[in-house]
Amino acid sequence: MDDRKVRNIGISAHIDSGKTTLTERILFYTKRIHAIHDVKGKDGVGATMDSMELEKERGITIASAATFCKWRGHEINIIDTPGHVDFTVEVERSLRVLDGAVLVLCSVGGVQSQSITVDQQMKRYKVPCIAFINKCDRSGANPYRVITQLRSKLGHNAVAMQIPIGLENNFQGIVDLVSMKAVYFDGDNGENVRIEEIPSDLMEEATAKREELIDAASMFSDELTEAILEEKEITEELLLSALRTGTLTRGITPVLMGSAYKNKGVQPMLDAVTELLPCPSDMKNEALDTGNNEEPVILSSNPEDPTVALAFKLEDGPYGQLTYIRVYQGSIAKGSTIVNARTEKKVKVGRVVRMHADQMEDMEILPAGYIGALFGIDCASGDTFTSPGTALTMSSMFVADPVISLSITPKDNKSQISMSKALNRFTKEDPTFKTFVDEETKETIIEGMGELHLEIYVERMRREYGAEVETGNPRVAYRETITQKAEFNYTHKKQTGGSGQYGRVAGYIEPITDKEFEFVNSITGGVIPTQFIPACEKGFYECMAKGPRMEFPVTGVRVVINDGASHSVDSSDNAFQAAARGAFREAYARAKAVIHEPVMKVVVETPTEFQGPVMGLLNQRRGMIVGAQDDGPICVIEAQVPLAEMFGFSTVLRSATQGQAQFTMEFALYKLVPQSIAEELAEKMAKKRKGVQ
Amino acid sequence: MEKNDFPMKHPLGLEGNTTDLISKGEFGAVLSRAGVGKTAFLVQLALNAMLRDKNVLHISLNDPVDKITLWYKELFNHLAQRYAFEQAGQIWGTLLPHRFIMTFRVAGFSVPRLRERLADLTGQDIFHPDMVIIDGFKFDEATRESLADLKNLAAEQSFSAWFSVHTHRHEETPLNSIPVPLLDVEDLFDVAFRLQPVEKDIHIQPLKGPIFDLAPLTLDASSMLIK
Repeated sequence: MDDRKVRNIGISAHIDSGKTTLTERILFYTKRIHAIHDVKGKDGVGATMDSMELEKERGITIASAATFCKWRGHEINIIDTPGHVDFTVEVERSLRVLDGAVLVLCSVGGVQSQSITVDQQMKRYKVPCIAFINKCDRSGANPYRVITQLRSKLGHNAVAMQIPIGLENNFQGIVDLVSMKAVYFDGDNGENVRIEEIPSDLMEEATAKREELIDAASMFSDELTEAILEEKEITEELLLSALRTGTLTRGITPVLMGSAYKNKGVQPMLDAVTELLPCPSDMKNEALDTGNNEEPVILSSNPEDPTVALAFKLEDGPYGQLTYIRVYQGSIAKGSTIVNARTEKKVKVGRVVRMHADQMEDMEILPAGYIGALFGIDCASGDTFTSPGTALTMSSMFVADPVISLSITPKDNKSQISMSKALNRFTKEDPTFKTFVDEETKETIIEGMGELHLEIYVERMRREYGAEVETGNPRVAYRETITQKAEFNYTHKKQTGGSGQYGRVAGYIEPITDKEFEFVNSITGGVIPTQFIPACEKGFYECMAKGPRMEFPVTGVRVVINDGASHSVDSSDNAFQAAARGAFREAYARAKAVIHEPVMKVVVETPTEFQGPVMGLLNQRRGMIVGAQDDGPICVIEAQVPLAEMFGFSTVLRSATQGQAQFTMEFALYKLVPQSIAEELAEKMAKKRKGVQ
Repeated sequence: MEKNDFPMKHPLGLEGNTTDLISKGEFGAVLSRAGVGKTAFLVQLALNAMLRDKNVLHISLNDPVDKITLWYKELFNHLAQRYAFEQAGQIWGTLLPHRFIMTFRVAGFSVPRLRERLADLTGQDIFHPDMVIIDGFKFDEATRESLADLKNLAAEQSFSAWFSVHTHRHEETPLNSIPVPLLDVEDLFDVAFRLQPVEKDIHIQPLKGPIFDLAPLTLDASSMLIK
């Protein structure tokens, strides 16, 4: 197996630019499927790639299925990429797995807001890409305008590699500017590629555009520059190799065109994928060394080295759990033993397969750079598998605590069962998504990293699992902490017939920053007998779950006990636990407790003309703007905004920027809430308490 | 301990002097060759101003926002360490709202553009700078006009501005004379310093302005703090 003949690519596009149709045609021409269906599903079969109903309806791809095909001696894995920026984990995973991408644009609609979104993702993960301008047969098609937009709106150094022969109704084929030939697509499904001389009326335009192409490519090849200066003949190989260098460094974006629906231009695009996009060893991949403070390590892509592979997607199939995996270093063979870096469990590899949407092919071995799937492996998405003894992981083991929660209640019994099934799966797929049952209200609570994050899971529950649930209002995970030292001396005494209860604890609580809770026993002389010390600790620790002030979890408290008393008959574990709880309440009241709220790092990417309004929006939401990065047509604004103020932000942002801005949000830190907000919270709490009574 | 008691030496060694070196509408410059410490010097001026509740707009034409944030964080930590300050974390939190970072590509920066951005900030009452730092401004033939324009803007919006000026080895001038990049526009500047590596230290030499018979000032080459 030769890794230079492998391409792992993503096809990324905004809704309705024909991504699914294009993928279908690719699979057809690579003989992976034998008939072409309509996307809209007139024949009830639909396109092969989009597996989730929700994605179809919203026009977004949430899951990343991988499918495999062959083209002219190259093996191509097509990874379906999410077109939505908010699924941080999901996006990151699928973008890591691919080495290059085809950016699909509509020749009528051009660069639209969602193209900006997907392009920003590519840029962030430095994914080399080529562009394919689709729908050249539509009325109003203008590929040149799209190229201009690629330059002005996305800042790409976009250069046409082809020009169209006719447009709209009259779209017949393309002129390849590298070989200087006209290309037509004959047969019912455009499967017969016919190469001809360039029509005389297009010759002049083609020559001019070729000059532009060569000019742009010459920036990346001294050899090509020399050839131009010496007026030598410019060979196809020379030009392609310069274009490839430019593409790999993201210095140039070659633009191809066609109409997937009319079966034109797809095969040359596949050629370009094999000629211009990187093979796995062209790309630098990093893993983290868990033995060395998660320092990054560059992986070798040598199939002989210790194995490092990433499980990037789980799927429930008719034969059990299917784990999609990409091998970065070493190889995974049938029958070999690998270790899950997270759980440190050893796993024996059973079947290794390669997927084409829903059919599969058995493999003996998956070497570095390859993508495949494993059967019967118990793991979560994002897990790393390594050879035994290799302490590497593809993604950090650190998982942030959830910052927002939502109660969900199933509408009926059937939904109840489906809901737990769904929750079980989601928590496996996404480490930032958690769920538990609230002891008091008996409600199921889901927790995650943002409003949209939870919304999507609720939606998926309904679509994929048929679980109808009602949701409560989102709740921000506030916290309480103390700001000064306070002493306690509390006696718990009860004498109501039978054996009494007696315990006294004394000491102090004080704030600490590096830990959530610390218990220090400084009792001397056995005034509290040693057997009751754990009971004291337990009593204090229980108070941390629900702060006496606002009933938010308490963090950052050190409890020191240094005195107390016991009774030979009446003291018990229970008595000391009660004494500790009383002591905590007593001291807490004097320790100047404050409320902390989660503050998010919000990064907005917006066309520069909306910079002012966007900063205004952030400012209104108690946001502190850290900085604004002016990056040509796009501007990136970074701010810290309290999570409580971010509800509904995506809608507001969309309307303020004509849908052209996106934002990402991640937890940054806990910060003291301002006085006015603390009072508001206290009022709400008072109301709630009244309501309970 | 309040933020204002933070025992920070004045960036130019003027102990106890809590006034600005230049006043509103005036320009200051710090000159040196690449990598000597212009940014570190300017960030210290900024931190000093922020500790006195002044708002600093930091404009960088070279570095991304992340990198500049790092400069501030690092220098603040060094300072906090040097003076063994306890509640440094809290002080840092109160300083941040006094800072705003803007970055531009060198080619994308122009005075009209800055004017527009400033209008966005002040018009919506988001940020009103008292001091503007412009790091990476290109001093060449065309600068005079834009600098004059900037000077007007500074007067209108009443802020002072500090510039970093990159000098080149081949344009080396004798000590105490104004280096090449600043020659044509010297009159627009009220204060100027040159950073000069001398053995292990970096000396801060006054070139222009009113502060001048001080013991030689130096930058500590490892912490980049003014000694």
